[in-house]
Amino acid sequence: MKLNRREFLTLTGKTTAGAVIFAACGLPERELIVQSPVDLPEDLVRGEDAWYATSMGDFTNGDGVLVRVMEGRAKKIEGNPDHPVNRGKSTARYDSVLQLLYHPDRISDPMRRFSKGGNLVDISWRQAEAQFQDALVNANGSLTVVTNPLRGHLGSVASKFAAKFNGRHMSFDPIEQGVLHGAVKSVLGQDQLPTFDIANASTVLSFGADWLGTWGSPAQFGVKYGEFRSQGNRGYLIHADPRMSLTAAAADLWLAPKPGTEGDLALGIASVIVKEGLASVANIAAFNAALPGGLSGYSVAEVAGKTEIPAARIEKAARHFAGNTPAVAFGGGSAGAHTNGSFNLGAIYSLNLLVGAVGARGGVTANPGSAFEDISASATGASFESWEAELAQWRAGNVETVIIRGVDIVYGMPNSVAVREALDNVPNVITFGAVLDDTMAFADLVLPELTFLETWGTDIPEPGPGYQVVGIQQPVVGPTVTQDETGLISNARGFGDMLLAMAGGSFGSSMERIVMDAVSELHDTGRGSVSASSSALFMNGVLQRGGWWDTGEKGAQGTAGRISTTTKSAGYSDTNALGTGEDFHLVPFVSNSLFDGRLAATPWAQQTPDPISSASWSTWAEINSQQAKELGIRQGDVLLIRSTSGEIEALAYPHPGIRPGVIGVPIGQGHAEGGRWAEGRGSNVLSILVDKKDSETGALAWAATRVRVQRAGRRVKVPKYEGEVEARAAEPGVPILVVGPGETAEQAEKANHHEYQGSLFKDD
Amino acid sequence: MTTASLKGPNWGMVVDVDKCIGCMACVIACQAENNVPLNTQDRVERGRAISWIRVERYWEGDFPDSKARFIPIMCQHCANAPCEPVCPVFATYHNSEGLNIQVYNRCVGTRYCANGCPYIVRFFNYWEPVWPESLRNHLNPDVTVRSRGIMEKCTFCVHRIRRESRKARSEGRVLLDGEVQTACSTACPTSALNFGNFNDPNSKVSKMKDDQRHYTLLDQFATEPNVIYLAKVDTDRKVGAGEAASHG
Repeated sequence: MKLNRREFLTLTGKTTAGAVIFAACGLPERELIVQSPVDLPEDLVRGEDAWYATSMGDFTNGDGVLVRVMEGRAKKIEGNPDHPVNRGKSTARYDSVLQLLYHPDRISDPMRRFSKGGNLVDISWRQAEAQFQDALVNANGSLTVVTNPLRGHLGSVASKFAAKFNGRHMSFDPIEQGVLHGAVKSVLGQDQLPTFDIANASTVLSFGADWLGTWGSPAQFGVKYGEFRSQGNRGYLIHADPRMSLTAAAADLWLAPKPGTEGDLALGIASVIVKEGLASVANIAAFNAALPGGLSGYSVAEVAGKTEIPAARIEKAARHFAGNTPAVAFGGGSAGAHTNGSFNLGAIYSLNLLVGAVGARGGVTANPGSAFEDISASATGASFESWEAELAQWRAGNVETVIIRGVDIVYGMPNSVAVREALDNVPNVITFGAVLDDTMAFADLVLPELTFLETWGTDIPEPGPGYQVVGIQQPVVGPTVTQDETGLISNARGFGDMLLAMAGGSFGSSMERIVMDAVSELHDTGRGSVSASSSALFMNGVLQRGGWWDTGEKGAQGTAGRISTTTKSAGYSDTNALGTGEDFHLVPFVSNSLFDGRLAATPWAQQTPDPISSASWSTWAEINSQQAKELGIRQGDVLLIRSTSGEIEALAYPHPGIRPGVIGVPIGQGHAEGGRWAEGRGSNVLSILVDKKDSETGALAWAATRVRVQRAGRRVKVPKYEGEVEARAAEPGVPILVVGPGETAEQAEKANHHEYQGSLFKDD
Repeated sequence: MTTASLKGPNWGMVVDVDKCIGCMACVIACQAENNVPLNTQDRVERGRAISWIRVERYWEGDFPDSKARFIPIMCQHCANAPCEPVCPVFATYHNSEGLNIQVYNRCVGTRYCANGCPYIVRFFNYWEPVWPESLRNHLNPDVTVRSRGIMEKCTFCVHRIRRESRKARSEGRVLLDGEVQTACSTACPTSALNFGNFNDPNSKVSKMKDDQRHYTLLDQFATEPNVIYLAKVDTDRKVGAGEAASHG
């Protein structure tokens, strides 16, 4: 008999038969099944939890986590306090991965499409292996393996596999980091992304990169930010971004430059420092050496004109940056996503030379290379230019087999590259994944893949903490049975293990063996955070701590080079032929919970309110509230956002934290596939990006698109949390108490109260 | 440092608003830890989403001087809680450790407590919580899944307090400061959220609560919250100048 508690209370309140009903109900059977383990792991103790350390490969830049496992089920993901990168702390994205593991739409078995455009049909692994093998044989050298940027041994396996079959391994990252890596290399002479010593800096000056939200290593940076604010002087944060991101919101001074002028702004700050003699002669000389052509054309007045930021604000930033050292400058994100991205980031990183921050405490320090000879400590996606060339090969029918894992290239690439047509011309498209994605709609073979919680691997965090770190990824749960105990939730296999098997074991028998050998290699070095008398004990130590690190193995400072000056001014896409509407500069931004869309399948990521708009489950468009008023745009108006690459719809969300003329749209929604929570929800802003590229690296200039915006004539409710709870201010008009430096809360409350009283008096 | 005290613990939290970056790590950590029902789009649109901890965002000023301020709000575990005396069945009461307790089995869903709470941190289950079959695997077995018709709210992760207390007792020792951490404070990357025992004068939270920036929310209601806030610092604010903000 099915009876919930509410019905039970109602019934027992009305009848004296309550006791009889209760006796007949018994305990809810389904609740018991949830915790019923089938194949008990040997370390399982019923009722006791176990915490396993592992590395969060595909979803972070190398954070170490602890996973709480109870009776074979993963229950919670928290930061690993031992791990030197995130030091026990988390982001809003950690726990959502649990919902990929147990996703109700998780791919259960291999699927095959017998003709392009046909339906996917379940097949056995034996049949899938046969088709995979045929695809390799048929490829005869025309093979491409596509993955997300992979650090650690899985990347090495993918590259070796491609090489064995005379193919290519290409990485794809919708939010390209190639410009960043190029600027770091050319200005600072470093191969890996450096460490920013935020915790010990008195001033942090950042551009574009939302390092407290989604850029780089947010958990690592968040911990450092907490320490930065704990200093005696509290630190001073300056952030430049056309849109208010989490980092901009945390800043003491927010600068909102015209998109694409971030490099000008950096050099404007430099010119103030040089002009006012705020830097040492040696530092100015080092800076001048890096800047061909000098600071001519970058006076504060000229830069104020280019960036459309008042000169006084630029001067204020410059004086803080140079006057309160140690100081560090860094940038990325939208600042580098322009046709002049390399110039922008080069100019930004060169500011470190001006304040002597390179290699200094509170500055920017180099990270060392990998602890393994054949594994790179850095990974980044291939440039958009390379991808255009590759897809042209696919379209021309020159590639027989494509194997895709960890990336949704149909979702992540702009319409302009026509990736769907390219895939249609590849005879064998083999994809791996946990939940169906948009690329799988074009796949001939779909293979269910184990998540990072179920597989072995290694990870090298980037940016690291300034010394060598190797994160170890281990399976923390075994196969999970379905609720009715008739089978497994997913009969998935690991990507690495599958490649190794299809290669006949010629470069490794299993990922587990490869990880064991790697750990053994670390043991042989005789250094690092774990010491043990035997390899087995060493392995245990490394697994318990979630990895290995050697604080003594630091990076060597590179030789400072030059700023790229190939293209100094940003170029934007054209809007002339886009019909009626208002022109805006499109600034896409990575979602705080969905990330670049890879977590869109999970309800926790969907429901988490965006920090700025508080919106969820949708795609919204942020525009300046004053401009919206002038244009008659209200919250919830459906906007048509049109570029030369296409059109999307988004719900208007006006607010005062964005530059007029800029429209900010979150990345992450607009999937055609992705399971019950992602399919057909919102819009994919990546699809309407134009094919502008950074002139130096060929990376996609994803912030260089101009759009025409028009109201669709409809208005709907924005699914957001704001307004759900009435603001009840501590004093009228003061929901959050703010104090000045040295001011007590009591003084501030009194001052606010007096102001409030004064305003009442004025009203009378 | 220990939590040893003749009076027993008085659990509380210190929220340093100056360190809160609004990243929502606390919000999702709480959802996962406490089996909070999924907030579907429909529930969000109806204003009936359940979030034991939320991060409110307020705007100050206009572009280019606009500022976004964040503040995490959860049950304040008030010593003089308006929600407690109004409950006709004693489903909510104050325990000896400073916790505002919600006894789900007693709750009959009058919602008087939610009406009385000025912080709006009590949530009513208008529907039976629905977990797709396979997602039930990640439910936390330490925390009851609440049914339709009852009230729920932040418990300061009381199950974690109980677990660590039992462990310490079985090992014949007292709890150490920092040994008990709520899911939100564990997740918080900047350490804006700090949990501990106010009865231990040497605990981290005891030291923090005496900071000159300390205040409590809505202190005009004399609820005596066990959550202490440290005010946001704004270097542009002149001492003694009043602020003006708008609810965003």
